[in-house]
Amino acid sequence: MLEVKLHDIGEGMTEGEILHYLVKPGDQVIADQPLVEVQTDKMVAELPSPGAGTVKEIVVDTGTTVQVGTTLLYIEGEGSQTAAAEEKKAAKAETAQSAQPEAKERKQAFISSFNRVLATPYTRKIARDHNINIEDVTPSDPSGRVTEEDVYRFLKGDQQPQKEAASPEATAVSAQQTTPDEIPFRGMRKQIAKKMTKSLFTIPHVTHFDEVNMTNLLKLREELKAAGVSVSVPAFFVKALVIALKDFPVFNAELDEENEKILLKKDYHIGMAVDTEDGLIVPVVHDADKKSIKTIHEDIKRLNEKAREGKLKPADIQNSTFTVSNVGPLGSIGATPIINHPETALIAFHKTKKVPLVNENDEIVIGHVMTLSMSFDHRVADGATAVAFTNRFASLIEQPNKLMLEMI
Amino acid sequence: MVVGEISQERDLVIIGGGPGGYSAAIRAAQLGLPVTLIEQADLGGVCLNKGCIPSKVFTYAAKKQAETSHMQELGLPAGEGTFDLSKLLAYKSKVTEQLRKGVEALCKANKVEVIKGKAGFTAEDRIGVENGHQFDIYVFKQAIIATGSSPVLPEGLPKKRGRILLSHEIFDLEEMPEHLIVYGHDYISLEVATSFHALGAKVTILLEQAADFPFEQSVTKELNRLLKKKKIKVMKDALIQSAEEAEGEVRIGFTAGGKEEQMAASHLFVAGSRRPNVQYLGLKRFGIEQTEEGFVRVNGNMQTSVPSIYAIGDVTEGPLLAVKAIKQGKAAVEAIAGGKPEVDVTFLPTIVHSLPPIASAGLTEQQAREMGMDLRTSQFALGGNGYAMITGKKDGFVKVISDASNEIVAGIHMIGEGAVELSSTFVQLLEMAAKEEDIKFPAYAHPSFNEGLLEAAEGLIGQAIHMAPKK
Repeated sequence: MLEVKLHDIGEGMTEGEILHYLVKPGDQVIADQPLVEVQTDKMVAELPSPGAGTVKEIVVDTGTTVQVGTTLLYIEGEGSQTAAAEEKKAAKAETAQSAQPEAKERKQAFISSFNRVLATPYTRKIARDHNINIEDVTPSDPSGRVTEEDVYRFLKGDQQPQKEAASPEATAVSAQQTTPDEIPFRGMRKQIAKKMTKSLFTIPHVTHFDEVNMTNLLKLREELKAAGVSVSVPAFFVKALVIALKDFPVFNAELDEENEKILLKKDYHIGMAVDTEDGLIVPVVHDADKKSIKTIHEDIKRLNEKAREGKLKPADIQNSTFTVSNVGPLGSIGATPIINHPETALIAFHKTKKVPLVNENDEIVIGHVMTLSMSFDHRVADGATAVAFTNRFASLIEQPNKLMLEMI
Repeated sequence: MVVGEISQERDLVIIGGGPGGYSAAIRAAQLGLPVTLIEQADLGGVCLNKGCIPSKVFTYAAKKQAETSHMQELGLPAGEGTFDLSKLLAYKSKVTEQLRKGVEALCKANKVEVIKGKAGFTAEDRIGVENGHQFDIYVFKQAIIATGSSPVLPEGLPKKRGRILLSHEIFDLEEMPEHLIVYGHDYISLEVATSFHALGAKVTILLEQAADFPFEQSVTKELNRLLKKKKIKVMKDALIQSAEEAEGEVRIGFTAGGKEEQMAASHLFVAGSRRPNVQYLGLKRFGIEQTEEGFVRVNGNMQTSVPSIYAIGDVTEGPLLAVKAIKQGKAAVEAIAGGKPEVDVTFLPTIVHSLPPIASAGLTEQQAREMGMDLRTSQFALGGNGYAMITGKKDGFVKVISDASNEIVAGIHMIGEGAVELSSTFVQLLEMAAKEEDIKFPAYAHPSFNEGLLEAAEGLIGQAIHMAPKK
């Protein structure tokens, strides 16, 4: 009998909601056939079948949120072998499976040998009583022992061991103050925190600001709209960026410090930061260099919808080579954005405002001007290059006709 | 189904009143569940009436007998008269009867309904109980199968006629064997061998298809040394080919270590294997899943493939020990009552009431090494223990194995006086995932065998007081 467990599909997920089963008990399944759709912190993923056989039993109901490691369903292996032999095989496969990564992760001979978490019977009971799989609890003790406190911490949703409480004095003072409301720091919020910290601690960021005259682009957009074609501004940005990136490939790159190389990428996958209820997520317009502005527009629209509904698939958020943060609709005139590691640059587009401009005839006219902030990795490029890059981008947006010259 | 059949309704029905079954019944009563216990023979089952308890009466008597020479050394009157087996059998009956009555009284006090008879399922929710001419049907909400197991002779051994004995028969023997051949290699074989030897029989052990005893290597080595000292012959890798009961003796032909051998003795004890008692339950009728050997398959809550039916003890897979049955019995009932019990046999101790006794829990040194554990081991000989000296029980040792990377105790093994009682400490330390310091910190009664454990732990880093430093 094969046990299908919710496993970590990526990005350190800890739990997932069972959206729906693609099979029912009695169904014949083949290896790698999708069995169940799971909503994780960031996306919807399908769990494939570990082998061929018959679905025997579904254990976890649809709509339930379960921890990684929870058994979702059982599959009876196929073939004419006796059930006992099957069981033995499955058990063997399972121990082999679980022993390997666990041994690697925890480097605890003791745990892998007994296949048993170090915890006292009382601690185990607390975990059982709260339906917690003790194997999911992160031990705070360096020797890997899971304590009662670890289980309670897990219960409260905080996976990481906390530092010891502050000094008694400080506690005494705060005891008199009101207690703050608590927001669980987990799931997507924690993933964001991890990524941001990594990027900022790794990359020496430099940010410069610039203005882009949007008057002509907005006019073009109006004209297109009148002609019955609606294309959003960001779609033009993406196209213009791809063109500029081709001229300045160092911003569509990744630094491989270990091998002392800067990898200039030939794919142009543009990440589009989206704000959702749960936080920031970056769906990706893949192969933007091979797509028309209209296709890009449709891609962005589709990805935005999926992001808001929490239906992004792993493929939708992977492999970006450059990231755009379009905060304009929300306001703001400048920012120091954090690069989407391991990329080398990121641009934030801010609010477009009507401002008095001096035209070539020295007349004051009303123009639409947007500010942008570009952060780049100072290890791979210098300020002058970055300015040249945004200049190239700005020229394409200010005279959108130029985009035509780049059409393939 | 018989027309007009009258069935009675029950909530929880437990089939089998052995240690697993009656513990489950009492726990059910404690949790407020109405419970019915069905037993075809005596409450207490094989363990109380034919197994654990009677065998320990013999090992205890043997221990006392072995102490006589030491008693003389102390100037105490001992060694007069001869051993009277009939008195020991009477004592055994008294002990088992008292214990059985104790169980009966407990069941009564807990309002456990006890029904006598042989039970078999007639449907997924009903059970028939046959007692003589009476046949009653009970409709139940939940049932627990706790019917235990029975010893079976290996293939090729003839039906016995009094001289070939299984574990439930040997302690009823009314004449003391002159020469007893013990065929097996498990704890029961060793208990039979050392106790009958101490009580006066000549004993030969044939290790049934085993290269050695199944204990921790150092323990096995010490055991072999002690058996040799007692002049108990151990023949390894043995396989009986033929056995013939004749007037006053049993003759066997066997191979041992590849050589053909013949031997005659007054009696032959056969450990045999154990078969789950499921023949009359009618499990196949509604597809309760069983293993090839017939053991009932259960999940972590002791539930069978039919959710309302549970199974515990010897009738399920795993070690065939009362301790497991008791644990599972309580767990099954707690699960039925809505609790979240767990049965984990990882640190189930191996216990032998041999002379001297053996207790072992956790990893053996070899297992730890095979796992690639960076380990520490330390063996403290009881010869260095003051109380062992006083009592004249200087054989044996305590051995501690720990993981050098985190100092967590991985296994504790002991052969020697006090091992069985000290074993609860071994198990506790392992269950608490104790570190070396957790053994070393507490104060130990002095003088006592307990100090053997302390010194073994101290020896892990070369700091046992009563152990010579390693050169």
